[in-house]
Amino acid sequence: MATPERLRIVGGAVHDPANNVDGEVRDVCIEDGRIVANLPSGAPTLDVPGMIVMPGGVDIHAHFASSSCNHARRLLPEEHLADRAPAPTLLDGARAARSGTGGTVPTTFTTGYRYAGLGYTTAFDAAVAPLMARHTHEELDDTPVVDAGCFVLLGNDEYLHRQINAGEIERARHYVAWMLGATGAYAVKIVNPGGIEAWKSGQRNLTDLDQALTGTRVTPRAILETLTNAANRLRLPHPVHIHCNNLGQAGNSATTIATMQALTGRRAHFTHLQFHCYGGETGKGWGSAAKTVIEHVNAHAEHTVDVGQVMFGPATTLTADGPVEYLLYSTSGRKWVNIDVELETGCGIVPYAYKEKAAVATLQWAIGLELFLLARDPWRVVLSTDHPNGGSFLSYPALIRLLMDRSARDDQLKRANLKLLSGSALADGLEREYTLNEIAIVTRAGPARILGLKQKGHLGVGADADLTIYARDADVAQMFSSPRFVLKSGQVVVEEGQLRRAPQGRRLYVRPPFDETVLRDVRRHFDAYGTVAFDNYAVRDVPGSPAALQS
Amino acid sequence: MSDSVISHAVCLGCGCACDDIEITVRDGRIAAARNACAVGLAWYGDGAVPGRVMVRGEQATIETATRAIAELLKAGPALIYLAPDITTEAQREAIGLADRCGARLDSVTSDTAATGILVGQRRGRATATLGEIRNRADLLVFWAVDPAARYPRYVSRYAIEPSGTHVPKGAADRRVVSVDVGVATGPRAAHARIKLSAANESAALGVMRATVLGRELPGLSAELQGAANLGREMTRGRYVALIHDSEPEERPADSQRVEGLVGLAQALNGPTRCALSSLRAGGNRSGADAAMVWQTGFPFAVDFSGGAPRYRPEYPASLSLASIGSVLVVGGPHGLPDVVRSALTGRRIAVIGPRATEAPFEVEAAIDTGVAGIHEPGIGYRMDDVPLPLSQILTGPASAAAVLRSVADAVTPGART
Repeated sequence: MATPERLRIVGGAVHDPANNVDGEVRDVCIEDGRIVANLPSGAPTLDVPGMIVMPGGVDIHAHFASSSCNHARRLLPEEHLADRAPAPTLLDGARAARSGTGGTVPTTFTTGYRYAGLGYTTAFDAAVAPLMARHTHEELDDTPVVDAGCFVLLGNDEYLHRQINAGEIERARHYVAWMLGATGAYAVKIVNPGGIEAWKSGQRNLTDLDQALTGTRVTPRAILETLTNAANRLRLPHPVHIHCNNLGQAGNSATTIATMQALTGRRAHFTHLQFHCYGGETGKGWGSAAKTVIEHVNAHAEHTVDVGQVMFGPATTLTADGPVEYLLYSTSGRKWVNIDVELETGCGIVPYAYKEKAAVATLQWAIGLELFLLARDPWRVVLSTDHPNGGSFLSYPALIRLLMDRSARDDQLKRANLKLLSGSALADGLEREYTLNEIAIVTRAGPARILGLKQKGHLGVGADADLTIYARDADVAQMFSSPRFVLKSGQVVVEEGQLRRAPQGRRLYVRPPFDETVLRDVRRHFDAYGTVAFDNYAVRDVPGSPAALQS
Repeated sequence: MSDSVISHAVCLGCGCACDDIEITVRDGRIAAARNACAVGLAWYGDGAVPGRVMVRGEQATIETATRAIAELLKAGPALIYLAPDITTEAQREAIGLADRCGARLDSVTSDTAATGILVGQRRGRATATLGEIRNRADLLVFWAVDPAARYPRYVSRYAIEPSGTHVPKGAADRRVVSVDVGVATGPRAAHARIKLSAANESAALGVMRATVLGRELPGLSAELQGAANLGREMTRGRYVALIHDSEPEERPADSQRVEGLVGLAQALNGPTRCALSSLRAGGNRSGADAAMVWQTGFPFAVDFSGGAPRYRPEYPASLSLASIGSVLVVGGPHGLPDVVRSALTGRRIAVIGPRATEAPFEVEAAIDTGVAGIHEPGIGYRMDDVPLPLSQILTGPASAAAVLRSVADAVTPGART
């Protein structure tokens, strides 16, 4: 169907938890890409009787458009050969569709099409090295349909560390503001605070919040506090986005809770929490500490998390956390990429697979589900797989089934290696099954709110008309994997499960104000140690206009 | 007319992509390029490029030429070949055009740096951006390469000379070792030299890796014992940079050498830190690789004929041309490897790029465009995949990206990428 500027969607059961609508059959009216209260009679209609209407999905944490992703793509020709993606046939002819390849790290056009086909209309790349931000924007230019942005890596930034070491916290904040604008990023990302610099300098890693980088007063705690305070003082729409120290290590739940405690009372988002909820001790005694960690989260309304669920099947581990990837390489023997990025961060890549017969993989799978099922406030727990680290974003529907259907979880448990699940809440039986409204919260309303996207994740008047419409199906995974309709900014982009249009999405970024006098010192730092001139550093011509800061 | 000065221009003369070039423009020509090396000065020249459009030897309008190129592509089977000196924006358009035409798509990479990329796809790699080497590397091992000839400012900008966060005294804080393989020698300024015969190179790399992994290897020849000693010395470096040329003599490198170097660099990250620095030539070659990867999943040798990208690395452009009827070269036609240029004989050829009308081979249609970073602004990639902004220094002829969009429209009217 052609997409009119006005459209009344009729007869659907609307799940719009941000506006306290839970399955009520009501019309949704769209005009000029936005939700409106009503339309004149005679406006074009889209009849969706009995179908489920939700806001478009919002992916708060994935890796799909960055220099690191591209290094992963380059490493995986075998995956791309096995998943060739012909160009979808579009309707309007105004934009030729592009072919590509898939696998765990699909090509850019294919990524956009597949997100749309899944009913996701907004996505953030969660880890972009500032030096490589220009590359990310090129990839985002080639990632259609979704509104998209990126988080910029600052937790191992040499200049920031110097300011922390010198006690120049105010200058650090202005630097953060400048960096966000210079890179066209939406939020501040911290990965293994200080640990990547330690990896690059020969110290190998930092494993304790109060362990300092050699010869400095820079500790993970100081980095976390500086960046968290900076993000909050700058009134960024999304708080600092934290990948804690000791990812993937047995016993790391203590570090995770210590990190949360360090930031008590301050807005902060903790990402792919599953990878940070292991009991036991380093190198041995694996177990689930999900209950302990999520109870801490439950008690702290200022903190939000996304889960980073592991799904059985292929994955590509891809992170700025270089020492973690070295460890995975040295224990798995798989192929490995490491790229140290000057003055800023790192990058490690190891292709991987989570097997249900592997005890640790099963433990990881169970911990993720425990986090979901033991969380008291779904508004603060977001569905993610840390794509492609825990599995592809295409596995979200299978994850939704696990959340909505206890029998599906039990069936999977029967096939899995239960060796490390003694004492696990999941193995002991968790009755909870998510409702459709809770799914709508953890996949769209919640992440939109956490990201400060006031026009996303809901269907109230003034919201972006990004909608996903599902035909009911007893097979929930099937239902969520193939929406009947997807609308992006009021345009029908998916129809009968087929991509029909592929408009360019909007770029989401911030440009907070800062004291420009700090740039004299930043420029001196570039002159002394950089290989890219200060005047060539900032990304030019980021499309669109910056998002509003918090009021 | 007074001079104008453009600061921080990016030179694409080689893969170093030095971004500290100060260009003086006088009377519409480049009068000076301060900080540029000999390679850079030759690349800039005075910035003069032709601005013609030719079809079958006659001057033509750009519309006529784009239609002729579209017809040539539709006649197929076609190859779109990414040559040097175009922006990544133009490369992206060219890839989209190949997708639309169901064409083969390739670049200079397939006949130059492919060996290293294929090894990397099998094993991965341990590397770093050039600034890490500048700031950290205290032990530099140049493997059969002296950057002076093809990458002149590598030594002054990245290593050996510059100071850095962990090497504040610059060259004085670094030890430089040259591994000379056959006649391929390293920098003259090296503190130590290891000489290897070409026949023993692979064995030496194996010995070094074994040594790094802690194996004792008794009974080695003097030559291999020297390699073992170097391997041991490398484990004592704080941050080791292992530097090689991934495009020696513009031909695919020896795969055993690259395999050995990749394995050695990875192994060194157990006892210490090590980055393998792979030197690449200029003209935004790395940008072509990057854009092809993010749009197709493969860095070179892509075949769209089945409706979606297929990887054909076993058929680099020089070999695949045997089954190709028509070729569109996008980029500077003078930058083609000799093996590709030879294989073009007998094909129907069009060129869109800088100095297209002066191509050193017979062409049906040619549209001159500007040179990326001289006439065309945009983005270009350094040899280590760092993206840099390219300035427009001079007014030039048609934009390559815009011309490619016109050709795409002519191939499929009414559609755009």
